[in-house]
Amino acid sequence: MRFLQFVSIVLLLNSCTPAVYKKLQRAEGDGACIRQFRPHIERALYQASVDVAGNHLSGILLIKRMPDSSSRIVFTNEAGFTFFDFEFSGSRGFVVHSIISKMDKEAVRKTLRKDFELLLMNVADTPAAAAVFRKEDTCYYAYNTGSDVYYYITDVRCSQLIRMERGNTRKKVVEATRGPLKDGVPESMNIRHTNFNFVIDLKRIYDHAEE
Amino acid sequence: MRKLFLILLLAGIAGAGRAQYKPVGNTAAVKAQFAAAAQKINSIASDFTQVKNLSMLSEKVTSKGKFYFRKNNQVRMEYTTPYQYLMVINGSKVSIKDGQKTNRMAAGSSKMFQQANQLMMDCAKGTVFDNPNFTVKLLENNNSYMADMTPVTKEMKTLFRSVKVILQKSGFLVSQVQMVDNKGDQTTISYSGQQLNTNLPDALFTIR
Repeated sequence: MRFLQFVSIVLLLNSCTPAVYKKLQRAEGDGACIRQFRPHIERALYQASVDVAGNHLSGILLIKRMPDSSSRIVFTNEAGFTFFDFEFSGSRGFVVHSIISKMDKEAVRKTLRKDFELLLMNVADTPAAAAVFRKEDTCYYAYNTGSDVYYYITDVRCSQLIRMERGNTRKKVVEATRGPLKDGVPESMNIRHTNFNFVIDLKRIYDHAEE
Repeated sequence: MRKLFLILLLAGIAGAGRAQYKPVGNTAAVKAQFAAAAQKINSIASDFTQVKNLSMLSEKVTSKGKFYFRKNNQVRMEYTTPYQYLMVINGSKVSIKDGQKTNRMAAGSSKMFQQANQLMMDCAKGTVFDNPNFTVKLLENNNSYMADMTPVTKEMKTLFRSVKVILQKSGFLVSQVQMVDNKGDQTTISYSGQQLNTNLPDALFTIR
């Protein structure tokens, strides 16, 4: 019952979300320029802080590229207890290798998948051409995947990635930013959902493998 | 011929691994010695190294820190590298600090943490063999005893496939805790530089 109330509130908030993409102006541009911002992570560890609906969770997030070119994302707590183990693969798509029962809900899986897809910029490598829009001093490179649109927002010269967003053609659902890249690996990443209180904060840490 | 040699070599290695630890003959006597040694321990301060082995990813994540125990139920586990993380158990209260936030962890994860520390406390207090959540087999080699623990309760079975606690024969001090989760991934915490019965300030165990 409480869950249904929560869902209702989320839907209500969603319907109240301002239509931020309505004022975008179609523009000329090459969507391929976004590829330069795609992270290249062979192995990286992040200290992760997750705040969701008033609950706080912390742990270690490992992102690793496997020999078959798939990417694995494993989230454990500091003591080594694994919360989830996800795979993003060109051939197999999204695979959940494990997830704790408390998180094992379709909505949670889907939300996390989309959040990490936005950060890893997988869509930038797909053949789908980006639609390009202008808004003031920024360019929006928009990739449609199903009912979702992934937006990568740059300066007008496409020389700097300002932020990343996910939503539909009208409303924003998620906003993500990241720190500078070091050898293709973001030093920090932040995901903020705009329709409910859900924030993921990742700060890179260096362990023995980087020494 | 080469294959046969390899098989024999691997069999030899596996056999040697098994021969390392064998069941203890007089378990009751060892338990009594252990309990007597634990009686003399009021506090422990040590370094620890934790290695999380993600077998499917051929990946190890290593972290280090300080461990403190004070009788009866006070533990401070302080991760210092490559991340800062602090857990304090004081009786039934648990405090966790990550970064700037002091919080409780999610129930599932904190249970594993607390269980690992409970095992350490049980070892320091000499009650590790009485843990009702596990069946315990006692093994030994030349230098150490191994409490080979298999979870019996539903709750523990969701967290661990097995837990092994290595105790040094000299002084019955815990040198290593090996936890295997249900995916088969192992987390090993090794303790070193143990200092016994030093005066540990109350502030180490204050719940904030």
